[in-house]
Order: sequence, then C-alpha cells, then structure tokens
Amino acid sequence: MWKWLHPYAKTERTYYLCQSLLPWFSVLGLAVILFASFWGLAFAPADYQQSEAYRIIYVHVPVAVLSKSLYMGMAVAALIGLVWQVKTCFMAMIALAPIGAMVTFVSLFTGAAWGKPMWGTWWEWDARLTSQLILLFLFLGVISLYKAFEDKQQAGKAAGVMAVVGVINLPIIHYSVEWWNTLHQGATILKLGKPSMPPEMLWPLLLSIVGWALVCGAIFLLRMQNEILQREVRRPWVVALANQSSVSSEGK
Amino acid sequence: MAFENFSSFLNMGGYGLYVWLSFGASALSLLVLWLDSFFSKRTLLTQVLKEQARQARIKAAAEQNSNGETI
Repeated sequence: MWKWLHPYAKTERTYYLCQSLLPWFSVLGLAVILFASFWGLAFAPADYQQSEAYRIIYVHVPVAVLSKSLYMGMAVAALIGLVWQVKTCFMAMIALAPIGAMVTFVSLFTGAAWGKPMWGTWWEWDARLTSQLILLFLFLGVISLYKAFEDKQQAGKAAGVMAVVGVINLPIIHYSVEWWNTLHQGATILKLGKPSMPPEMLWPLLLSIVGWALVCGAIFLLRMQNEILQREVRRPWVVALANQSSVSSEGK
Repeated sequence: MAFENFSSFLNMGGYGLYVWLSFGASALSLLVLWLDSFFSKRTLLTQVLKEQARQARIKAAAEQNSNGETI
C-alpha cells in the first residue's frame, strides 16, 4: 500500500521542492563563481614556478573535484533505485549524468590548456588523464544506454547497473598520481595534514569549488524537474502547471 | 591586485591564451548545458498543453460520433 501510494505523492512534491530551491542555487552559485574567479584571476598572487599560468587551477580543480563527486552521487542514486525500486532515484541518476559529462569534459579541456604550456603537450596517455577520460566515457555510456530503451523503468535499471559498476574507476582516478609515474602533480588540498597552498591562493579555490557545486546543483534541479514533467505528462497537476505557466508567459 | 594594468591582466604573463581559453571554454560549456536544461523545460510544458488539447479533441470527436449515431 505504501509502496503503491509513494511514487504518486512524491513526484509532485519533489517538483515543487526543486522549484523552491532553484533560485537560491542559481543566483548564489553564479555570484560565488564570478566572485571566486575574479579573485583567483586578478587578486591571488602569482605562483613562484608557473607564474600566471597556474590561475587555470581556479576552474580546473573545481570541475575535477565535481566530476568525481557527481559520479558518486549518480552511482548512489542508481544503487538506491536498483535496490528499492524507487523511480525518482533513476530520474536523479539521469539528471546528474549530463552535468557530470559536462564537468568532466571541462576538466579534460582545461587540463589540456594547462598541460600545453607546462608539460609541452596538450595530451599524454598518462594514468590520471586516461582514467579521467574513461570517466567521461562512463557518463556518456550511462546517458546513451538510458536513451536506448523505450521503457524508462528498464532504461533506469540498465544504466543504473553501468553507473554502479563504473564506481571502480573513482579510486583509480584518485590514486593514479601515486600508483603510476605520471606528469600530473599530486594532491594539493585533499591530503593528510596541511594543504600545500598559502591561504591567499587557497580561499578563492575553495570558494570556486563551492560556486561550481551550487551551479551544478541548480542545473540538477532543472533537469530533475524536466525528468518529472516528461514522465508525468498526463497527470492533472502537470496539466494545471502547464496552463498556469502559459498564461504567465503570455502576460509578459 | 596582482597586475599593474589591464593589458598585463589580459596577457597573464605570456600565458593569456591558455588561461582565457580555459575560462572561456568552461563558461561556454556551463552556459550551454544550463540553457539547454532551461529551454527543454519550456518545451516540455508546451508539449503538455499540446497533449491536453489532443485529448480534448479526441474526447469531442468521440462525443460527436456517439450523438450522430443516436439521432
């Protein structure tokens, strides 16, 4: 009985929860990203070894950190969806996948643009870079597997299994700089003891991580709403919502 | 301020191309995904309205049909 009632009550509430959180995440996230990037680009001191080129860190590290956390979030959602058959979890999984793919792509791109002046090459088949590329393919794989099925419940299960299995790649990415000889430098913030960065460089970095996380949260809320709308096209509350929004956009 | 003037800020100690390429590409990717999510929400809501209109048409046609038969 509870299991039968549960999904019916939940999507509408989830939709409006996303709606109420959305402006906070969007505005705050954008403001923090702009502030932190400006701080990092113009005010943080230059690096003694890499001079101004190190400023790429203020976008490279946030997206790289997020690519792993978003994958973890996606895999957890998939696992809950698989074990307890919660369809909202599969929606969360597929809402997260494109964001993770975007963030992973940006981390590879900014890494290439940083590697060219510092290592002398855009790309190297090195452990960290290759495992991060595999992460991108895992995200894309989850998206395309989900799209390959007409029945969305089945699609969620298939893509969910792939997402859960792919978790094995996360420790490989994290420890790749220790296990193999690599061009990529070791961890700077996430390591035992003190971070090897002075505070005037560290603060804008931490802030931009927060900013990127908030904006990714905002995009997630939007995509979650889209998934709900897609599945509930004929529900009365969705029809009422669509009528309401068309009235308000005509008024503008 | 870590730079003396605006042109040295743009120049980034000779690494301007790489720094601005990174930031530009990141901003662009973020914006594309954001706008895509935003506009697909709009498209979905108009689809809901179309579906509703379609259902109404089907219902109206069915009623007309059944009336015609009884008369």
